[in-house]
Amino acid sequence: MEACKELKAKYDRCFNNWFSEKFLRGIYDDSECASLLKVYTECVAQAMKDQNINIDEVNMAHLGTEQEKKTED
Amino acid sequence: MKLWTSHHTFDHPWETVVKAACRKYPNPLNPHVLGTDVIDRKVKDGVLYSHRLVSSQWRFPKWLTQFFGHQGPYYASEWSEVNPEAKEMVVKTVNISLGKHVSVDEVVTYAPHPENPETTLLSQQAVISIQGVPLIDHLEKLLTMRIDQNAKKGRQAVEWVIEKFQSEMKDMTDDLFSYTKQGMEDLQNVAKKSFDEFQNLTVPPPSQSIPKL
Repeated sequence: MEACKELKAKYDRCFNNWFSEKFLRGIYDDSECASLLKVYTECVAQAMKDQNINIDEVNMAHLGTEQEKKTED
Repeated sequence: MKLWTSHHTFDHPWETVVKAACRKYPNPLNPHVLGTDVIDRKVKDGVLYSHRLVSSQWRFPKWLTQFFGHQGPYYASEWSEVNPEAKEMVVKTVNISLGKHVSVDEVVTYAPHPENPETTLLSQQAVISIQGVPLIDHLEKLLTMRIDQNAKKGRQAVEWVIEKFQSEMKDMTDDLFSYTKQGMEDLQNVAKKSFDEFQNLTVPPPSQSIPKL
């Protein structure tokens, strides 16, 4: 999304570093990029709304599987 | 309906391939993929779940785009799970804007190769299904071919990102070395000299006389 380019760049830098240095090494706490992720995904949600990109139908199918997983837990 | 499958072994450990796979877009080998955006992401029980929107601009012939109802950009919804303990990454992609007649579902898995855990096995599967339009078989074949070509380029793209990691590391080492060797003063002198030369220019010099910075 063009409108979220800068927020994405900031978040991606944080994420890429966290992913290789922490997550893949077994440190699962993802709070260090959480605030960047929040503003970035809010921007993406708004841009998708503005451009009428609707993924609800697709989401429903996959959320179904996630809920099934939860009940298995 | 067409089912397409493919396997490939990367001569790199799982961690390297997964890092590259997460950031392979944009790349020059898959120019049709404009980019990805994160819709949602969370870690639960040591597994990273990501939901991304993939934006692409495919160059389909006009007679084909009429079945999709528009000429793009095309979007896909991508769900991925990365489990570092089990060493498995699964990526599911569903197209969302090829119209009601066309559906392309893809599942990609990255795991250490069972026979050689230092390498990574990529397994890829796509289901292409077209309904309610003429020439279904022809269209499905065409899309399947396109997916096959792009998958090959996608694998090259992963290698391309890995090479980039390696050259970034090399650049950093080279830079550190040259900074230590020359010192900041030398760099400043070069900068000052080229700035002076630039200011004194009356006619454009031949390209080889431009000092390299």
